[in-house]
Amino acid sequence: MRATIFDYGAGNLHSLAKALATDGVALRTETDPLGALDTDVLVLPGVGNFAVAAERLAGARDAMRDAILSGLPTLGVCLGMQLLFDESDEGPGRGLGVIPGRVTALDAARAPQIGWNSIEAMGDPLFETAPLTMAYYANGFACRPDDDDFVIAWSTHETDRFPAAVRCGQTLGVQFHPEKSSAAGVRFVRAFLQEATR
Amino acid sequence: MTLTRRVIVCLDVTGDRVVKGVRFANLEDVGDPVVLAARYEAEGADEIVFLDVSASIERRNTLLDCVRRTAEALFIPLTVGGGVRSVGDAAAALRAGADKIGVNSAAVARPALLTEMSRQFGAQCVVASIDAKRRASGWEVYVRGGSTPTGLDALAWARECSERGAGEILLTSIDRDGTRSGYDLELTDTIARAVSVPVIASGGAGSGADVRDALLRTAADAALVAGIVHDGSVTVNMIKMELQNANIATRAAA
Repeated sequence: MRATIFDYGAGNLHSLAKALATDGVALRTETDPLGALDTDVLVLPGVGNFAVAAERLAGARDAMRDAILSGLPTLGVCLGMQLLFDESDEGPGRGLGVIPGRVTALDAARAPQIGWNSIEAMGDPLFETAPLTMAYYANGFACRPDDDDFVIAWSTHETDRFPAAVRCGQTLGVQFHPEKSSAAGVRFVRAFLQEATR
Repeated sequence: MTLTRRVIVCLDVTGDRVVKGVRFANLEDVGDPVVLAARYEAEGADEIVFLDVSASIERRNTLLDCVRRTAEALFIPLTVGGGVRSVGDAAAALRAGADKIGVNSAAVARPALLTEMSRQFGAQCVVASIDAKRRASGWEVYVRGGSTPTGLDALAWARECSERGAGEILLTSIDRDGTRSGYDLELTDTIARAVSVPVIASGGAGSGADVRDALLRTAADAALVAGIVHDGSVTVNMIKMELQNANIATRAAA
């Protein structure tokens, strides 16, 4: 199976690459968004700024959106999850619009949220296969889908309950960093890969 | 269902060895950063901070190769500081495997650096590292490994760092660093209440009870430990147990 990390040029892809590197996975990192679509699994990594990433995506936005909506299994981590949505208050630019909704700032006295927070899973099979009760977050913004049916797990920072994970078919967005959530997080990433190969 | 308070282990590195010192001096060899970082993750550390303590004093660049090898063994966040002077330096450290970048002297010299890094990488990636020393009234910011006073008031500087885009503040008490006499609770609480970003208390941990006090009696989100875990006088797991006994929300060791 081929897995591809789309590198929008802002951050550490090491841990994500290490978490994805398992037997039977041919992993590569691709800076060209169109080239990144030639894969079996697409990964949108988690560090950076929405506007910067949306700009890097711009030329390939519709192609990537179509590929995902046609069933390309995709894992969006943190900012990568936010890119699945329409727009963000963090900055200008269009997200992929795979899941209707926008990204807004966390409503909290202390932000960004940095650290380990609890995950309230809603029964999605992925969380059954690879239980994750607590995960590492580093986010000042959170996704607000128009329809809560996309949400498969929630977390709460202060009084703001926000989606920890969303699912649209084979595509998964996680606001936390599984690749930074120690052994349980790595198992979660690998469970996603296993699901994607089925 | 809440954000937990963090215990962060700091590896002060010079060359490719972890060292410890009292008041930023008298450095003593502690071990291999790669081995230690992996051990602390297994013990339940929430994050690792990797600080090139030689960088400011000797103006060396961050030892990216050592970062790379340390990051290779870790699945928890790694902050890298020491010798980061530009967005380019920060990008190189991120490429080597850092998740967050600590900036200290360079931000004091040119505060716009915080904004530039925040725009490029996001605020969650930018850690303003502040070394503060008590003076007649309040605390003064020191740079270059705690050796050079700046005249800046630590409270005002912390606010400015937050406004300019830092997503977190790593606050070290120079008076307490390495003394094992407990964190400077007054400093920590004053700064943590004055800014909206998370504050990491640092300098002075002598026991699990000191970590507990820092998290119980101040608004800090996290506490940093170094010497006490390196010499084995306490483990991260023992510190976590101390926190749980005091009903402080924390992540249990895996």
